[in-house]
Amino acid sequence: MLSSNVTRDLKLLNSASSDNVQWTLSQAEVEFLEFQMHLTESTAEPVPDLKSLRREFDIFYSRISTLGQASIYASLRDLPEFSRNLRIVQTFLNRSISAIDASDPDLILALPDLLERTNAVRPNVRKLANSGLNFFALDSDHRRNSISVTLTQLAAGVTFLMLVLVFLAAYLGRLNAQNVKRRAEAIEAGARMNIVTDTALDAVIVSDAQGRILVFNAAAEQMFGHKAEDAIGSDLGQLIVPDHHLAAHEAGMRRVRTGGARNVVGKGRVKLEAKRANGDIFPVEFAIQAASTDEGEIFIAFLRDISQRVQSERELVVARDRALAGEKAKTDFLATMSHEIRTPLNGLLGNLTLLRDTRLSAKQARYIKNMDTSGKLLMSHISDVLDITKYDAGKLRLRPVVMNFSDLLQDIIDNQSGAALANDTTLEWGWTGARTDWIRADRDRIQHVLMNVIGNAVKFTRNGRVSVDTEVANDPSVGPILQITVNDTGIGMDANLQAQIFDDFMTGDSSYDRDVGGTGLGLGIAQRFVKALGGTITVESEKGRGSTFAIHLPIEPVAPPTDVQDQRATQANVRPSDILLVEDNEINRVVAREMLLSAGHKVTEAHNGQIAVDMAQAHRFDLILMDISMPVLDGRGATRAIRAGTGASASTPIVALTANAMADEQEAFLSDGMNDILTKPLSREGLMRVIANQVVSGKETPGAAGEGAGAVAFAYLDDLRDTLGVDALANLLARYAAEVAEVIAYLQDHANHSTEEIAQRAHRIAGSSAALGAVDLRAALIAVETAAKSGDTAQMVQAIDRLPDVWAATQPQMSAERRGSTREA
Amino acid sequence: MLRHITLATAALALSALPLLAQDLAAPEGDVILTVSGQIATTNVDDTAQFDLEMLEDLDATTFETSTIWSEGTQTFQGVSLKVLADRLGIDGATLRATAINDYAVDIPLTDAVEGGPIIAYKMDDATMSVRDKGPLWIVYPYDSDAAYRSEVIYSRSIWQLDRIEALD
Repeated sequence: MLSSNVTRDLKLLNSASSDNVQWTLSQAEVEFLEFQMHLTESTAEPVPDLKSLRREFDIFYSRISTLGQASIYASLRDLPEFSRNLRIVQTFLNRSISAIDASDPDLILALPDLLERTNAVRPNVRKLANSGLNFFALDSDHRRNSISVTLTQLAAGVTFLMLVLVFLAAYLGRLNAQNVKRRAEAIEAGARMNIVTDTALDAVIVSDAQGRILVFNAAAEQMFGHKAEDAIGSDLGQLIVPDHHLAAHEAGMRRVRTGGARNVVGKGRVKLEAKRANGDIFPVEFAIQAASTDEGEIFIAFLRDISQRVQSERELVVARDRALAGEKAKTDFLATMSHEIRTPLNGLLGNLTLLRDTRLSAKQARYIKNMDTSGKLLMSHISDVLDITKYDAGKLRLRPVVMNFSDLLQDIIDNQSGAALANDTTLEWGWTGARTDWIRADRDRIQHVLMNVIGNAVKFTRNGRVSVDTEVANDPSVGPILQITVNDTGIGMDANLQAQIFDDFMTGDSSYDRDVGGTGLGLGIAQRFVKALGGTITVESEKGRGSTFAIHLPIEPVAPPTDVQDQRATQANVRPSDILLVEDNEINRVVAREMLLSAGHKVTEAHNGQIAVDMAQAHRFDLILMDISMPVLDGRGATRAIRAGTGASASTPIVALTANAMADEQEAFLSDGMNDILTKPLSREGLMRVIANQVVSGKETPGAAGEGAGAVAFAYLDDLRDTLGVDALANLLARYAAEVAEVIAYLQDHANHSTEEIAQRAHRIAGSSAALGAVDLRAALIAVETAAKSGDTAQMVQAIDRLPDVWAATQPQMSAERRGSTREA
Repeated sequence: MLRHITLATAALALSALPLLAQDLAAPEGDVILTVSGQIATTNVDDTAQFDLEMLEDLDATTFETSTIWSEGTQTFQGVSLKVLADRLGIDGATLRATAINDYAVDIPLTDAVEGGPIIAYKMDDATMSVRDKGPLWIVYPYDSDAAYRSEVIYSRSIWQLDRIEALD
């Protein structure tokens, strides 16, 4: 806009300087005056120059017609003054044309008139010129103003431009200052970076893509033993890469240069080896990053000498391996010890058992009893230690089975009732709330725990009462909880003792040590088992008043098995069985054989698994007792072979005999096809129980053992005799006989007693009967108790009426002396 | 050899000049243009004088253009300044053109180009009287080139032309 104005004004100025319009106006007047002068002369002369006159006229005419037509005079013609005079002059010319164009004589005649009109029009020509001049004066004023405005605008524009330039200059100045500052900062940062690099604890090495070293800091000098000035510029690979890694290093650099895969760059920490100036190879940990610079890609490596760390790690690993090996050695040692101690002990105890059955003097019998007691104690100590080891090693595995808890507890009570009786202590148990007999749980472990806790209660109570209360409580979050509370009125414990009672090797008051003894591991093991079963065991006690142990176990109630024969058989109704005994150890074999024979069984022996397999193929045995570790073919292999074959004994129950008590192995035995596991050393009880369990499912009825054989389970009497001695047993039996007689008399007088009292009396004597092995009498008494509790008087009376007959059959067999007839096998 | 050619060419050129001079006949009608000064071809004394017929005999140029001195467009016919300069062998830098009323203007010979100004003797197919800026009018083709629409060119557009003097 501004520039177009300036250009326009420049053009106008240009035209003003050659203003032919003004010239034309004055020229018009000049030409008029020439014509007028010529005309004046012509009128005076006799022979006028008409040709010249005509030409003057034509020139003036031409001029005026140009003024009237030309577009450049259009604005001029817009002036009224100009156009009016122009019209007058044009009228004059048009009127004069006829005279000028006439013949010479006519023109001469017209000259005076022409002159007169010419003179008359002269002021108009003059005005024409002047009006033009005025116009151009005004026009030029206008143009000057316009130029002035344009120049002012130009000045403003220039000023604005100047300001912009000043601003730009300031801005550029600032940019420059910033750049200078940045450059200074960059230099400073570079210097700082150098300091950082030089003071870094890690070696810092920078190289280009060719592997030429660019930076080699102080730590690198120290680590590699090269001077920085020597290192910089030399080849990275040659300098610090060990010879055996050189090929890989150069391949890597080639890959990096050609844009291939980067195995190390930007991949975090890498461990490799490096080479010192003296040729030593040492482990380094390093990280490499790539950066792009003007000179191409560079690689920055941070390296750390990890010789010390690697050394420490190696030592740690060695130490750990050693510790693990030591731990394993310990476990192995314990396992071996368990086996190595149990096997001879098995032999020892077995032979003691056999020895006891021979004719002995009273003294010899006492010595044997003492040896047997010591041997069993030793065995229990070994078992305790082994249990703890297994639990602490996390190797304690549960073996849940379907079991009748009431039966288990009854057995334990029966087992302890003898001891309780000896202490003049009442031992009883019962359910609170609904009974839950059948559960699925680890029977052996629960038995161990209860045996321990109830055994302790009986041990520490004199002339008191031990009651075991069981109840199933439903915990909504974990399901049914079996709560067993063992309450005694014994000596109790002070707070200190309570706090330590579950600790290992904790034994009670020294005054009782003589009587009760033990490793002090009993409750420790009990607690471990309870924990393994997912339960808790707690104690509350008051010194001198008694203790209460509360055991809470989560249980899984199950439906009672429909097959009655699955129920635990009592030893009394085991029929004589045909048993294959597989055992390579001669002593063990003899012991087991003697025990089995003495129990009235038929025994066939095999010295190894292969023989056993062959025998089982040919003959159908009722039971196979299978040792595990044997030459030729071990027990597991033999079991699998028997089970896999179609021999006569392919489905015969097989019971493992093992000193190896590790739970995981026991599971393996069962999966091989074994039905049960008997832990060595063999006890007569264990052996009989297993036979009873496995063989009772036979077709024959228990009656085969002979008349009266079922009335008394002699094992209990034998145990008591072993424990108490013949004389004490005789006393006990006498007291028992008196008590039974008294109770029978009491019961027969049932009309004078409440059913509650009847049930209680029957219950108590039933417990004593169980402890002494009077199983028939116990059953009859329980029938009384059950009937009394249910309030069924007729049933009760009927049960009471049976009692004298049962007692009559039982009493003769309840002899403190050894029964000669049955043991002479 | 080269020298001989140069001399021969020079001789030819010198001998050609009289031939050309003889080509221009003397005018028979009213002389409407007199060219004097640095010219090679003459017919009367040292000048070249033309009547209308002689001008019309020269190669004519015709174009249509508007002018600032008239309304609308007109068709002009005439001798281009270049043709005239060539015909007369004008040897100078400037043509001083003078009108009947002695108005004079200098036209540089560089203006005499093809498609340039003509000495018009006809406007809209009619000869021009003195009253109509005749008989001769130097007209530039104003419409064909913006460069011809300047004050300088306008001032060179002399009408009522009757003399041209070729100056150094």
